[in-house]
Amino acid sequence: MAEAPPEVTCQGLARTYGAGPDAVEAVRPLTLTFAAGQTTALVGPSGCGKSTLLRMIAGLEEPSAGSVGIGGQPPLAVRRRGGLSVAFQEAALLPWRTVEGNVALALRLARRPADPAAVAGLIRLVGLEGFERRRPAELSGGMRQRAAIARCLVTAPGLLLLDEPFGSVDELTRLRLNLDLPRLWQERGTTTILVTHSVSEAVLLSDRVLVLSPRPAAVVADIPVRLPRPRRAAMVRETRFLDLVDEIAAGLSEGGAAADRPLAAQ
Amino acid sequence: MRVNRRGVLGFGMGGLALRGLMGGLGPALALSGGAARAQTAVALQLSWLHSVQFAGSYLAQARGYWREEGLEVSLQPGGPNAPVEPPVVSGQALVGISAADYTAAAVAQGAPFRILAVAMQKNPFAIASLPANPVRTPADLPGKRIGMALANMPVLKALCALNGIDAAGIEVVPTQYDAAPLLAGQVDCLLCWATDLPVAMAVRGIEAVTMLMADHGYALHSQTYIATDEAIASRRAELVGLLRGEARGWQACRADPDAALALTLESHPDAGLEAAVQALQLDRQLPLMVSDLTEAHGFGWFTDETVAANIRTLALLGREVSPDLWDRSLLEEAHG
Amino acid sequence: MSGRLLVGLLLLLLWEMAARTLAGTHLLAGPVDVAGWLFQHRGLVGRALAVTAGEAALGLLLGTLAAVLLAALAVLAPRRVAAVISLLMLFLFCLPLVATGPLLRVLWGPGLGPQVTLAALAVTFTSYLALLVGLRAAPPVWLDLVRSYGRGRLSELWHVRARGALPYVMAGLQIAAPAAFLGALVGEFTGAERGLGLLVIRALRELDAPATWGLATVAAGVTVAAHAAIAAVGRRLQAEPPLILAAAPGRLEGPLPVLAALALGLFLWAGAMEAAGLSPFFAKRPWDVWAFLFTDPEAMAHRAELALALAQTLRVAVPGYLAGLLAGAGLAALVILAPRAEAAVLPVAVALRAIPIVTTAPLLVLALGRGPAGTVTIVAVMIFFPTLVACLQGMRQTPRAVLDLFESHAAGRGARLLHAQLPAMLPAFFASARMAVPAAILAATTAEWLATGTGLGALMAVTASTSAYGMLWSATLVIALAACLAWGALGLLERAVLSRTAAEQLA
Repeated sequence: MAEAPPEVTCQGLARTYGAGPDAVEAVRPLTLTFAAGQTTALVGPSGCGKSTLLRMIAGLEEPSAGSVGIGGQPPLAVRRRGGLSVAFQEAALLPWRTVEGNVALALRLARRPADPAAVAGLIRLVGLEGFERRRPAELSGGMRQRAAIARCLVTAPGLLLLDEPFGSVDELTRLRLNLDLPRLWQERGTTTILVTHSVSEAVLLSDRVLVLSPRPAAVVADIPVRLPRPRRAAMVRETRFLDLVDEIAAGLSEGGAAADRPLAAQ
Repeated sequence: MRVNRRGVLGFGMGGLALRGLMGGLGPALALSGGAARAQTAVALQLSWLHSVQFAGSYLAQARGYWREEGLEVSLQPGGPNAPVEPPVVSGQALVGISAADYTAAAVAQGAPFRILAVAMQKNPFAIASLPANPVRTPADLPGKRIGMALANMPVLKALCALNGIDAAGIEVVPTQYDAAPLLAGQVDCLLCWATDLPVAMAVRGIEAVTMLMADHGYALHSQTYIATDEAIASRRAELVGLLRGEARGWQACRADPDAALALTLESHPDAGLEAAVQALQLDRQLPLMVSDLTEAHGFGWFTDETVAANIRTLALLGREVSPDLWDRSLLEEAHG
Repeated sequence: MSGRLLVGLLLLLLWEMAARTLAGTHLLAGPVDVAGWLFQHRGLVGRALAVTAGEAALGLLLGTLAAVLLAALAVLAPRRVAAVISLLMLFLFCLPLVATGPLLRVLWGPGLGPQVTLAALAVTFTSYLALLVGLRAAPPVWLDLVRSYGRGRLSELWHVRARGALPYVMAGLQIAAPAAFLGALVGEFTGAERGLGLLVIRALRELDAPATWGLATVAAGVTVAAHAAIAAVGRRLQAEPPLILAAAPGRLEGPLPVLAALALGLFLWAGAMEAAGLSPFFAKRPWDVWAFLFTDPEAMAHRAELALALAQTLRVAVPGYLAGLLAGAGLAALVILAPRAEAAVLPVAVALRAIPIVTTAPLLVLALGRGPAGTVTIVAVMIFFPTLVACLQGMRQTPRAVLDLFESHAAGRGARLLHAQLPAMLPAFFASARMAVPAAILAATTAEWLATGTGLGALMAVTASTSAYGMLWSATLVIALAACLAWGALGLLERAVLSRTAAEQLA
């Protein structure tokens, strides 16, 4: 029961912490559209508010102003029917459940019937065959992320929100995961929003990169990525890849200087 | 008998509810009378753990003296931290076993009690000491260290007042109710009952010198049967029946102490009773329960004179009571 | 393992020698006599143990169930409501056994009621606290996971918090099991038909040293066995006890929860008495206590008597409390400095802690004299074992990197202890210091009641037997409030200290 990938819209979305003179503006009012079936990467310096933006889209955080529409619906309604999945920075696996149990938990939380075949299939797809009965403490960092991705996908969501999902693993593992896993959802055409501070990861995974300024988050560059799919390891050494990386890096350093200038991007 | 009682009372809350039911049904059944007399369930609240201290009650129960009165009596044990007067006030127990000073204290706090009968004609309070440094008369007390709970200060002061002794000359060491401090030499004498700590010492081979305070003017009724005014007014027949059975039980106990001892041990297998201790305790307790009055009038008797003596002792203990605290009429009916 | 065996044998030998030296005093029986007595009375002891252990187990079950319900309520409710629940629970926990026992007997009548209730009361608060910390300890990202599927607080509680709290529950149960046993034992003093408690009273009164020590051995064995069994179950469930059982108290929520708890407490007290229709002769209402302490013509004398007894109790409870904490933390430091000491220290500590206070109190008082030394020692013994265990765990939690840093400078053990391990120990130390407050009061009043005959413990026992229920209720309230105040004051101190040394511990 895969969902059709939705378009995601943010209307004047903003987040301010605290009130009065001590108020901290985390996200400037943003109006953005994420096309259905596309993968968009949000890059920016750490602490810039990109995770906050992602959490507001998921509805895990209430915006101070503005609204989010996922296929025209508010996030809560989409969450209730299991229409979106979030992959967290740490894998967020429950330590007392096995790999299998953690993946199956998503189905329970989404009020879906148990589906051992789907669970086993996804565990195989993410390359964890033979580790179904292991607990998270017995797995390496990369294996935990694979399990977390399997958990995200088992509900076949239309929207996938990835909050630096590979941030805590080493560079080599990260490259492997970047090449292995995205196929699983890109083949289904899932709308994907990825938060990362790795420029090459952003290029490798996405169709479009939004560069955010330091806090408060505002979009300083909107860069389409027109690389063929599936992406391969060799690509990272190609000129067009490196050009894109340079363009984004330039946006990042420019964004640092332009942080105080509001810049609406569409 | 034990199984039966447990069946009637049940445990905890269930027991409460059940007993409420029994309380409601009991009198009705009793009224219906007939050849097979229905039993009214009543409770007697004991003042201490099961032991030969209540041997007469066990006999009354085992030999059916109460059944003949139409009563199914349950014996509720006491303990070091067990309430005795409250169950009687609340009606959980029809009769409680108290002592004149405790009863007077409860009455001062507003409890509507009367003393119906007196099991211990002589108060069992005693001063126990070791033969090497004995206390044989109150005059021996000055200069001694006495171990006792501070709460018993009034008792010591009353004894001194009764015998013209200066209490200031006695060093009081606060101890709990335990013979160990005497044996360890921390005190020279103990304020205790003649029927417990000295008995324990004797069984362990230490013959203590025991000075019974009752022999030195300390007149205070002990192991007294108390009931509320309300019970006396509305459940008189049951009270009289209970007293009559109790009196017959103690009569039987005097006639055959060995049988009473055997019954006590046998009916309380879980109480951890030691035969030697119980035998000696009964041996020392029975003489305290007998007086000229009981020989003449029967178990539990008291007169205006003994009541007056009690009132004098109670006054020394700081308790002002009137002779109304005692009511002999039920005992008279029981013996009549 | 063989080291432990050796220490055990050595202890047995010392015990036997001590008993032989004291022979004739009827105070201490050696292992030989004890074993003989236990064998001879195995039927009696077995039946009594079954009764008391059954009461304790039932109390443990009911107390834990109550704790689960209340903790779930506290986690689902707003923080201020949770604070009110916690305050009321703390107060209930601080009520002294010697006073609640007779009242429970009157409320329940004959049967197992008071024993089970006292056992349950002894465990509910520690289990509640453990659960509350455990339920709140779930990392936010787990909660986000649940919320990302549009599920609410109940799902959080069920899927994440409940299982995450399991290690805390197991740690709470380890503390609760001996407490439940002691509660059942003391409950039997209120007029039970059978049980180990009765045998203990009799043995003490009848100078039966082999019986006294045989029963103490059985009780200690039960405690140690329960401790080990719970630890084993915890390992089976992959729920190793966490470091700190009682997290630092939350931010002050203002005076409102305190006032609300006070009002609710008074209402429940009066309401329960009225609803049950209990006679004011023994079931005093709030206004009776107020009158007794303030408006009665004798009120001044009442207050003076109470103040005197309270002062006597505090004179032993406070030094004993401090000595216990110091001994616990000091021994923990010793074990860290000289790890070999652990094999000698821990078995003695466990044994000391496991023997129920009702049997050790009279002996300790006899050994140390009637003065305050005996009672102070009893209080200290009650407190020092949990402190030792908590402090040891705390010091062992020092981050590896910090220890490596000290190692890289070739710093000595002393410097490492002072600058790294002691600060790392502080959160655990404070947590156990707070839990020790009610334990100190319990120990002091029980020792006064059973051994020295002074202070609030004796006053409460005496007032219960002389129907002075106004004084009994007043003393009970005063002691419980004093314990609550001490708890609160410690919480403030704890926050002040931890904000410098372990800010991450403060929520």
